[in-house]
Amino acid sequence: MAVDPKQGAIRLSIKDEYGFFNIRLESIGGYGANIAGKMLAEAGVLYQGLNGSNFSSYGSEKKGSPVKAFIRFAEPQTPIRLSSPIEEPHIVCIFHEALIRTEPVVRGLRPGGIVIVNTKKSPKEIQEVLHLEHATIGTFDAMTIAVETKSRVNMAVLGAIARAAEFLDEEAIKSMIVDTFTKKYPATVPGNLQCFDRGRDEIVFETFENGEAAPSAFKRGGPAYGYLNMPLGGVIVNPGNMAAKDLSASRQGFLPAFNREKCIDCGQCDMVCPDFCFVWENGVDKRGRPAMNLLGIDYQYCKGCLKCVEACPTDALQDAREVDGYAKEHMVKHINLLVSGR
Amino acid sequence: MALKEQELKVQKSTFKSGNEIAAIAASQINFHLMGFYPITPSTEIAEMIDEMKVEGENTIAMVAGDGEHGAAGICYGATVAGGRVFNATSANGYLYALEQMPVQSGTRMPMVLDLVTRSVSGPLDIRGDHSDLYFALNTGWVILYANNPQEVYDLHPIAVRAGEHADVRLPVIVGFDGFFTSHQKRRVQYFEDGQVIRNFVGEQPKGFPNALEPRKPKTFGPYMNDPDLINNKYQQHLAMQNALRVIPELFAEWEQVSGRKLEMVESYRMEDADVAVFLLGSAADTGKEVADRLREKGIKAGVLTLHVIRPFPVAEVQRALRNVKALVIGDRADSYGANGGNMAHEIKSALKDDPENKTLVASRLYGVGGKDFYPDDAEAFFQIAIDMVSKNAVDVPFDYHGITAVTETQPLEVVAPLTKEEQQSPVKVEAIGEGDSLELKVVTPPPRQMMGMAKRISPGHGACPGCGIFGALDNFFRALSGDVVVLFHTGCAMVVTTGYPYSAHRVTYIHNLFQNGAATLSGTVEMFYEKKRRGEIEIGEDITFVMVTGDGGMDIGMGPSIGAALRNHKMIILEYDNEGYMNTGSQLSYSTPIGHKTTTSNVGTLGGGKSFHHKDTAQIMAATHIPYVFTAVESNPQDLWKKAAKAQWYAKNVGLAYGKLLIACPLNWLSEERLGTKIVQTAVDCNFFPLYEVERGHTKLTYDPEAKGKKVPVEEWLKMMGKTKHMMKPEFQPVLQAFQAEVDRRFRRLKAMSEHPDL
Repeated sequence: MAVDPKQGAIRLSIKDEYGFFNIRLESIGGYGANIAGKMLAEAGVLYQGLNGSNFSSYGSEKKGSPVKAFIRFAEPQTPIRLSSPIEEPHIVCIFHEALIRTEPVVRGLRPGGIVIVNTKKSPKEIQEVLHLEHATIGTFDAMTIAVETKSRVNMAVLGAIARAAEFLDEEAIKSMIVDTFTKKYPATVPGNLQCFDRGRDEIVFETFENGEAAPSAFKRGGPAYGYLNMPLGGVIVNPGNMAAKDLSASRQGFLPAFNREKCIDCGQCDMVCPDFCFVWENGVDKRGRPAMNLLGIDYQYCKGCLKCVEACPTDALQDAREVDGYAKEHMVKHINLLVSGR
Repeated sequence: MALKEQELKVQKSTFKSGNEIAAIAASQINFHLMGFYPITPSTEIAEMIDEMKVEGENTIAMVAGDGEHGAAGICYGATVAGGRVFNATSANGYLYALEQMPVQSGTRMPMVLDLVTRSVSGPLDIRGDHSDLYFALNTGWVILYANNPQEVYDLHPIAVRAGEHADVRLPVIVGFDGFFTSHQKRRVQYFEDGQVIRNFVGEQPKGFPNALEPRKPKTFGPYMNDPDLINNKYQQHLAMQNALRVIPELFAEWEQVSGRKLEMVESYRMEDADVAVFLLGSAADTGKEVADRLREKGIKAGVLTLHVIRPFPVAEVQRALRNVKALVIGDRADSYGANGGNMAHEIKSALKDDPENKTLVASRLYGVGGKDFYPDDAEAFFQIAIDMVSKNAVDVPFDYHGITAVTETQPLEVVAPLTKEEQQSPVKVEAIGEGDSLELKVVTPPPRQMMGMAKRISPGHGACPGCGIFGALDNFFRALSGDVVVLFHTGCAMVVTTGYPYSAHRVTYIHNLFQNGAATLSGTVEMFYEKKRRGEIEIGEDITFVMVTGDGGMDIGMGPSIGAALRNHKMIILEYDNEGYMNTGSQLSYSTPIGHKTTTSNVGTLGGGKSFHHKDTAQIMAATHIPYVFTAVESNPQDLWKKAAKAQWYAKNVGLAYGKLLIACPLNWLSEERLGTKIVQTAVDCNFFPLYEVERGHTKLTYDPEAKGKKVPVEEWLKMMGKTKHMMKPEFQPVLQAFQAEVDRRFRRLKAMSEHPDL
């Protein structure tokens, strides 16, 4: 890297009351948001001489669950002494459009802040969904870029951030990509760099300034129960309530497509499905005897592992690139499972 | 100070988390040995030391314990042998090892333990507070505390020196906040050349007794009763007093080397402060940020924090607070019923001993269970102090900060409880004959008929895509009829099905500590039968008790599982084996096969994956002579259903049944999500995971790959997974051959047992 970390001259034109420029990545475990956050922060701190901190949301979430990564940047002499999560970011990156439905992804975004979304939709369409009146929204089809460059969505997002945050040096981030992957996965470096470049080039930004810029109306998330209404000892009195969760954002671009015509009701899919997505009903077999018949897939729970496609002895289940609206249109809800809504 | 300048020059600025820099410090010190057991959030430290080891950066002997109690024992034995020893743990891991701690200090064996602080169960919470740290206060260890990654680095070499000092000779904890410090990356200055650190810590002081001098035999650990013990304890007290002198000397010496100043009591803008807050750990840094902003508004605010908690630096605390008008002490863990946390009481006690002190003091409990501490929380603490000054009174001496009284949430019924009818399985078991001639006949229907069986776990759980646990568990449960009570050991299946306020379990579910499930469920079972005997439960009630565990739970919980098996309770132990501690991020378990790569059995220039063979848990359980033992996989569901139904029959009528299910973990096996079923079937076909049962002492293979013409070499299985890809390379041929030979040997033995009625 050509940049001398000791130069100390770097200045941030936008910063919060603590002197920080804040970036929040909203993602799903497995998309590489953690590593992207780490690389971005390392590029700024180690190669550009900024001060910074980086961490992710903590919990026992697994691959496929919502995760957040946080990056704080500050001028070299500004100490970073806060360890609480970033509540009022300057940039939010949404790695998967489906998160908009299930998570408060743009909560706390500063007026005039930037939102980067992995979607096929236009900035205007996203603006309408997010109801952001004062923001710059950038959209791009990062999933397709990732598939085509044999890379991951996170590299395209880094490219988009490099364009959105002017103080970040694109070359520093690219050097970090090379450094991060050369040792363990050298074969991935060219694709990752290509994905980064395409993310930077293909992101389309549009700025919205409707009405007066209201100060951020941030509200912190709270607990499910207070000490007066929480059942004693942490007992869950309504077990099975996890069925209310929507896991469709866990899918990474693919899902199983079901063709009833070719199904022989053998049950092989159901026996390997980790997520209990297959919906059956009492019916009759070909000879008219009572038998279980497969109705379809409850995509609310499908994480797109495609084990069922492997198990299917006919062509009734096949891989499909998930297009917007497919799951909703082909959804078969579990019969008699949910007694109340979310 | 030529030396100082020269050495300062070789310091490098890096960007590391607390765990990362702790691992670097330990690696540079090059301890003789690390005994460890994975627990969030300290796990990464052992992982990273092992990663550095296989690249030749250290030569630390890494010994994976069978639990934290075992890990602490390994460390103790290594210190008795005179070595420099390291460990890292958190929360319940620390508590599980707790009884070893006063032994370590009372027998005066120095070592270093990183306590990456986390909330202690229950309910289980993996995030950071100080409830584990507060248990450490009475163990006789020196306790150093770091508020950020830089201090984590700096305190490690000091910990070694302080503990080994001839006037101290005590084990030392280096504590830091779980997640807030352990997992946040910050700028850190460190010595690229570890020799600087090794020079600072120096050689171990000689002349202390150890167990490896046969010509100078010693007796370690005699029992010692009342006339003597009090004097041993007074020696410990004196050692702590000495540490009060030694530690500042070491801090000063470290400043010469690093240019960074450390103090036992860190006073931030305290010299003229009217109001102050006391905070420990990362929250203290947040407090400093807020104190700066209050100072801009003309409020004389300061922050007090400790880098040495044991010995408690009374004089320094008194001095720092001498002229403070009001102080708010934040505690990140409660001493329930004591009217304040431990820090509040210790600071108040120090002030009571200072007759000149007039500081108004209140204390607040905050940040429990990892609840974030924001600048506005620190502001609220300062405001309490400001109010105390203006009223010249302490209105509320102690309270919780950040609690919620009531929410709108109602525990809505989302899915209806399962009825008895819904839980009748199409799999039927018939017992023919009795005594030695008893035979269980199991009739399994075609799969299609099994599709009507209600699932005892609801969809919506948060397992990774392609997780092998749930297909295997569901197939097991499909073959069980009637009511079921389950107990899940700590592990992936437990974590992803019960994140508060959600539960995916449609039947009654219990979770207790990681290692103690078998004991817990045996208590539940015996209570069921005792209540039945007393007529407190209707005679007709019939419940099957199933404990579900990972292979990790069968490591740390091996003892209680064997105990339950020997007592032969009417219950089932069902193990899902994914060959590693996947819930904590893929560390080796004893079930991990040789050569396999995990985060604590790395592959590199000097490492070839796990160094010893996989544990044969099924045979261990069979050796307890329980009535039924089986192995099964999701790829052979008919076989699995039969065995599940038999297990239920034995668990209801005779005693304990144990089953082991091999399941795929695509995330940590580095394999394709969609291929899980095929991968476990290939593990069966290469004889790594033979399908068999041991029924009342008789072993029977239920599937023989050779007879079916399906037998393949182990390579066919190993090449399907990224974690074993390296084993295909020529340099790993010896380990591959050793693995094949062991698999073949175990299978031959099993086959012989299957063919002989008495084996």
